[in-house]
Formats: sequence, structure tokens, C-alpha cells
Amino acid sequence: MCLSVPLSRYPLYQLGNPQLRIFRTNFFMTLVKPGKEQPPDTVQFRIPMEMTKCDVKNYLEKIYSVPVGAVRTRIQYCTNKKRNHLSQRVKRPDYKVAYVQLAQQQTFQFPEIFPQKDTAHEPGSVEEMQDQFMQDEQQRQKADPRRGGVTEWFGL
Amino acid sequence: MAAIKAGRVLSLCRQFQKGLSISTVLPLQQTKVLTSCKAQLSAFRPKFCLLHINNMGTSLAQQCRALHTSQWRRGLEAFFDETPNWGEPTVKSGAPWTAKQLRTKSSEDLHKLWYVLLKEKNMLLTVEQEAKRQRVQMPSPERLRKIERSMKRLDTIVQERENALRLLQTGQERARPGTWRKDFFGRTFWYRFKEYPIPWYLNRRYKRKRFFTLKYVDSFIRRRIESHLHSKILKKKADLENKRKLQEKFSKLSATT
Repeated sequence: MCLSVPLSRYPLYQLGNPQLRIFRTNFFMTLVKPGKEQPPDTVQFRIPMEMTKCDVKNYLEKIYSVPVGAVRTRIQYCTNKKRNHLSQRVKRPDYKVAYVQLAQQQTFQFPEIFPQKDTAHEPGSVEEMQDQFMQDEQQRQKADPRRGGVTEWFGL
Repeated sequence: MAAIKAGRVLSLCRQFQKGLSISTVLPLQQTKVLTSCKAQLSAFRPKFCLLHINNMGTSLAQQCRALHTSQWRRGLEAFFDETPNWGEPTVKSGAPWTAKQLRTKSSEDLHKLWYVLLKEKNMLLTVEQEAKRQRVQMPSPERLRKIERSMKRLDTIVQERENALRLLQTGQERARPGTWRKDFFGRTFWYRFKEYPIPWYLNRRYKRKRFFTLKYVDSFIRRRIESHLHSKILKKKADLENKRKLQEKFSKLSATT
């Protein structure tokens, strides 16, 4: 079946119709780090506006096999106040946030995806020479330590 | 057929060994990958497959250590990239799927590939959002565009197949029923039907839309037709004029060599 939401509306349902099944969902969920402190079992997602709590639960359980306890959603309204160089109002798109509580007493901590890596350049390369030059410059710019922190403004 | 992403050894084997714990999976991974790399579905075409096997072999120990944290949930790990790739300025990835290649795959394979692409896209969106949060550049943002293109092409091919099936089975050209109608201004357009729980004669909002043209609009329609014909003639004249000018400019150049 070709139907892939989000559409403007789902097909009409009347009592006795078969259960609607969506093949190849078009919903994408983004895991985000919570701005405010959340309980250890809560995971925060940004989801498309058309998604519901049941959708989120089914999505995580079927596609990611994550046991979901409860889902709460809210819509974040983003500003329409900003103006561009033509004084036209620019809308930042709204988004829906889902707070998913994991079942079976599991916890989740958002990891550090961009750790600081100390990369040493290979000796003899251009970057290494540049680094060395910058360090030497900084050393030259520093004040005479024999003055004991007194600035150059004071004569002698 | 399990679905993997090219160059991501761990994810391949996660799919293969669903029930096993992580520590027992790793020794089996290498052999599995070496034997069955080419035949698998992956988010990117398996160009860099072999390259990545060599790379991954060296850092398995690191991966082992990183995965043994108790707070990790195996399901939610799929929202992040592999641990060696964190903090890297660029991440290697293959080319997107082309329509020609996708046409060779069966519908089952396409269905599975869709979900591989979906999970990969979710991962990339997560990384993108976190990069914006930390005010750091996202490593290799072209992966997102590749995935989007692959998904669009997949969608096109599924639609093609559905169209063909529908034509053969029912003879209907379109999936959604519709008809030609005239709007209030005399313009003919394709009206696509919408689903309502009540018949049209009880639908007040539908009745306010008028799909008929009244007599006093005839003169406007006539003027519209005249202007359309006039513009066609002007275009034809402009083409001829252009052709004449080119002929004048380049007639001196001899065609014979």
C-alpha cells in the first residue's frame, strides 16, 4: 500500500471498517537532550505534528523494540515575531514534543555525542608548524615575568 | 534477509542476533560480515564495505568497552551513531540508492530498506539537533540529503509498481478517484474526490462551492480564450523572428566542411 502519512488527514473511519494499517511510515522522530531535568526513565523526542501518543508508542515498540510505559505530548509554539532584512515576519516552525517513559524500570541518559578529542598533528606537517608558531607568538606577547604583573603603563 | 547499513558492522549484527547479549555478539560479527557483506541491504550502497571491515577490526575492543554501560537501552542505541564515530569531523558513507538499482529489488526488500533508511534518518536528525544545541558542526551532513533522495526514489518505484498492478487488475489510471469539472469562472480543472461520512446534498459547505458557470461569465470566458490564442500567435511569431535573426547572423558560415 502506497499510503504514507503525514497527510493532511487520515482516511475516513466508520464503525465496522478494518483497522487502518500504514506501510512505510513517513514519520521521523528526533531524540533530543532535555532542557529541563527529567526523571531517569524519561526520553524526550521531537515528533511531527500529526503523530499521536498511540503512534509514538507503536512506533517505538515495533521499529525500535523499546518497551514504552507512558507517552505525554505537547506542542511547542515557536516565534512569529522575528523579522528579516525586508521587515517581513519570519515564522520559526512549531514542533511537537513527546516525553516517553520507559517500562520495565529501564533508565536512559542522553550521551555526549561530541566529546573533546585531543588530536596531535604528525611532526613535520603544516598544521604542526602553524600550532608551534602560534604558541611561540603567544609566548612572545606575554609580559616580562620579572615585573610581577605590573602593566607597561607604569614607566620604568 | 536482514537489513544493515554499509560500513556499520555493529548494526548489521544487531539485526542478525536479536536475542543475544552484546558480549557474545562481537566475536561472531567479523565472520558474518566478511561472508555476507555484499548480499545485504544497507542505507548506503555497499561501496565502502570492505574498507570498513578493516577499520572496524582494530577498534572492536573500544566498542566492547563503550557498550557495557548499564544505562544503555539496546533499542534507543539506534538513535545514535556508532561510538567510534562520535567527535569525528567526517564520517564516511556510500552513495545513495539509484532508481535503477531499487527496481531490481523485490517489494519485501524495499519494505525492509525503507525502515533501514528511516532509522538512519532518525539517527542523523538526532545528531543534527545535538550539534545545533552544542553549537558544533555536524559531521558529514550530506548523509541526510542522500537518505532523503533514496527514500524519494523508493517511494517513486513503489508507486510505479502500484500503478501497474492497479491498471492490470482494475483498469483505473489513478489511485484517488476524480473528475473534470468547471469552476464558477468557467475554468476546467481536475476535481479530486474527498471522503465524507454524509451525502453531498446534506453537506452545507460543499454546496457553497459552485461547480457550474452562469451565463454572465460567458463574455469573460470568450476574452480569456482570445487572449490565450493571441499569446500563442505572439509566441509563434517570436520563434520565427528568432530563427530569422539566427539565420541572418550565421548564414555566412558554410555548412560544408
